[in-house]
Amino acid sequence: MPNMELQLGLALPTPNMIKGFDLNNHRLDHLKQRGCFSNKSKRSFEQAFGNFKQDGKTKTLLLWSGQPNEEEDHKDQKKTTFSTIDDNDDEEVEQVVGWPPIKTWRKKIFNQPNGVGGIENNRVADKENGRSIYVKVKMEGVAITRKVDIRLYLSYQTLSNSLITMFSKDKKCGDDDSTRYILTYQDKEGDWLIAGDIPWQSFMRCVQRLKIIRNRD
Amino acid sequence: MESFELKRSKDSVNSDQSAHWSSFPDEVLERVLSRLKSHRDRSSASLVCKDWYHAERWSRTNVFIGNCYSVSQEIVVRRFSRIRSVTLKGKPRFSDFNLVPENWGANIHAWLVVFAAKYPFLEELRLKRMAINDQSLEFLAVSFPNFKALSLLSCDGFSTNGLAAIATHCKNLTELDIQENDIDDIGGSWLSCFPESFTSLEVLNFANLTSDINFDALEKLVGRCKSMRVLKLNRSVSLEQLQRLLVNAPRLAELGTGSFSQELIVREYEELESALSNCKNMHTLSGLWDAKGIYLPALYPACTHLTFLNLSYAALQSLELAKLLPHRRRLKHLWVLDTVEDKGLEAVGLNCPLLEELRVFPADPFDDEIVHGVTDAGFVAVSFGCPRLHYVLYFCRQMTNAAVATIVQNCPDFTHFRLCIMNPGQPDHLTNEPMDEAFGAVVKTCTKLQRLSVSGRLTDRTFEYIGRYAKNLETLSVAFAGSSDWGMQCVLGGCPKLRKLEIRDCPFGNAALLSGLEKYESMRSLWMSACNVTMNGCRLLAREMPRLNIEVMKEDGSDDSQADKVYVYRSIAGPRRDAPRSVLTL
Repeated sequence: MPNMELQLGLALPTPNMIKGFDLNNHRLDHLKQRGCFSNKSKRSFEQAFGNFKQDGKTKTLLLWSGQPNEEEDHKDQKKTTFSTIDDNDDEEVEQVVGWPPIKTWRKKIFNQPNGVGGIENNRVADKENGRSIYVKVKMEGVAITRKVDIRLYLSYQTLSNSLITMFSKDKKCGDDDSTRYILTYQDKEGDWLIAGDIPWQSFMRCVQRLKIIRNRD
Repeated sequence: MESFELKRSKDSVNSDQSAHWSSFPDEVLERVLSRLKSHRDRSSASLVCKDWYHAERWSRTNVFIGNCYSVSQEIVVRRFSRIRSVTLKGKPRFSDFNLVPENWGANIHAWLVVFAAKYPFLEELRLKRMAINDQSLEFLAVSFPNFKALSLLSCDGFSTNGLAAIATHCKNLTELDIQENDIDDIGGSWLSCFPESFTSLEVLNFANLTSDINFDALEKLVGRCKSMRVLKLNRSVSLEQLQRLLVNAPRLAELGTGSFSQELIVREYEELESALSNCKNMHTLSGLWDAKGIYLPALYPACTHLTFLNLSYAALQSLELAKLLPHRRRLKHLWVLDTVEDKGLEAVGLNCPLLEELRVFPADPFDDEIVHGVTDAGFVAVSFGCPRLHYVLYFCRQMTNAAVATIVQNCPDFTHFRLCIMNPGQPDHLTNEPMDEAFGAVVKTCTKLQRLSVSGRLTDRTFEYIGRYAKNLETLSVAFAGSSDWGMQCVLGGCPKLRKLEIRDCPFGNAALLSGLEKYESMRSLWMSACNVTMNGCRLLAREMPRLNIEVMKEDGSDDSQADKVYVYRSIAGPRRDAPRSVLTL
């Protein structure tokens, strides 16, 4: 397993830290980019439907690309729009009605508290506190977004250990073993901050998302 | 035994018709035909000649109606006089995904009224996608003194009050099977409506219900129904309660647990394990809501004879599944969530050589940033280890043509191949090409294929393949696929056994719709939504084919000329009279 170090805000700044690292700019880049996988799929999906127009035979729908359809019977855009890429990846994407084809009652299972993803914490088994708090975790350079239940951890250390384990299998070969990473999080106000500055309990209450970014020299 | 009129058969024996091969006495013919169970065989027998038609209809006790609007109640009761069991299906399948307007129809009540008059000895009613309200349930409960089995699958319109009526009045009930319905769950007191003297229940499935039930009543019920063989609990039943039930029902063949995640002390855990392992007949296990990895070993001794394991409510990780499987080499049917990931499916391939059916459901279907789940690799791994696989339902976020080709090479016996690549129109993730060749491989290799659901980026080529090679295909589901009318025309022009075709969001228009004119009479139904079909096209179809019912459902605010949702089905009952305003019958 490659050695990964996850630098928390609590650690003393080392000479490796970037001078003048601007988290805000970095955020914009991330907001514009999606993970490689979903980017490719959505682009190629648009490509796929865009191609319809070029083929003379087709009676196209073209609703997904948002362009008005020239076919006379099809003047309006459909109400069920497919999700589109926009620059704001923090908003929920619009879902297509009835897709993926999952039965209604099965969807209800997912939406219940202690739903399918909700594995109860051993230590906090009573009903009041039992609800898991899942936050998304993205790592720079890795296509896959994960989810962690913040309630399972007691401290920044245990969280970062777990993240290292989780992502070490995803790490691309491009990085060498001594690459350092910084754990950042988005709080309730939408600001991105370096994890570790506030007490763990407060962190747990306000964290919305996590991002692991490379600590560039 | 009723006496039969022998006159007619004597006449035919005496007449000079020694070559008349169907001149059995009626009662012999009926006795023979009564052995036929399959409704398709019976239909075939009834078409042989008039004698056989009558013998068949007098001996039939079980009627299956695949589309409740294809025939009227009067026609059914006129033809069959001795029916004990009815199976009725109503709404188009896409109603499961909210594509059919509310109040569309398929209400059971009119049927019940006729049955009460003509089949007072009705014993079984099995409904799928029908609308049934509490009044109807109560009417059912009081109208049929011999009533034994009620099965409601994907139905809607009723509440637990209706169930209370069934429990109260059906003295001979053996089966109450409530699955996947849209129920108004008011509370669990319906269970206490079974009288103290009631002991006949063999099948009880209320996994669908969400509210707490009266456990005391349940425990007593299970205790006195000694023949109970199927018990499927809902999530509100705890592990400790489960153990108490099992102690009284060791002969259970099918068990659906409740929540599998209570805090247990060692003694309680051991008691549970012991109760489970005492169920020597258990072959089907489901439920396992919120299953915690640490309690799964309690299942190990119980489940050596399991053939069906439904883990689709338990978010197991790959390791947990990998540990659970080695004890279950006899598994034939496995349902899981995609939280087990490809590694979990590798374990399936390694441990379940007899597997025939695999269903992988997505844990996070609506969040496309989360890209865990299963991929082409998992499916391929299963195919290498499970050559007998013939039924698969697979939700994934990526697939390749090469993977599918390998899969069907390993498992050529697929009868049901339902692949859902969740991002609509997504191509092969390695080559970026359409997934045409994948489904081409499926239809070319799997000659027994009966049901196919396609997904991903697909051109007309896919449908050329399907039309040309899928000789046994009966059900085809298509979404976000195809390039032009030609695709649908290929399917309608090929596929000799096609019965159900359901299409959404495809560029198929009037030319495609009208190319199937004669075909639709040999099919049960066609559904097309969000395609390019217009009202004019539908009207033309209606004019040409008077024996088809053409129903159009419009969306709010859409163009007048557009036929947003079209449902076409054959019927000998004529257009239905109970359609709501939102459904236009042409």
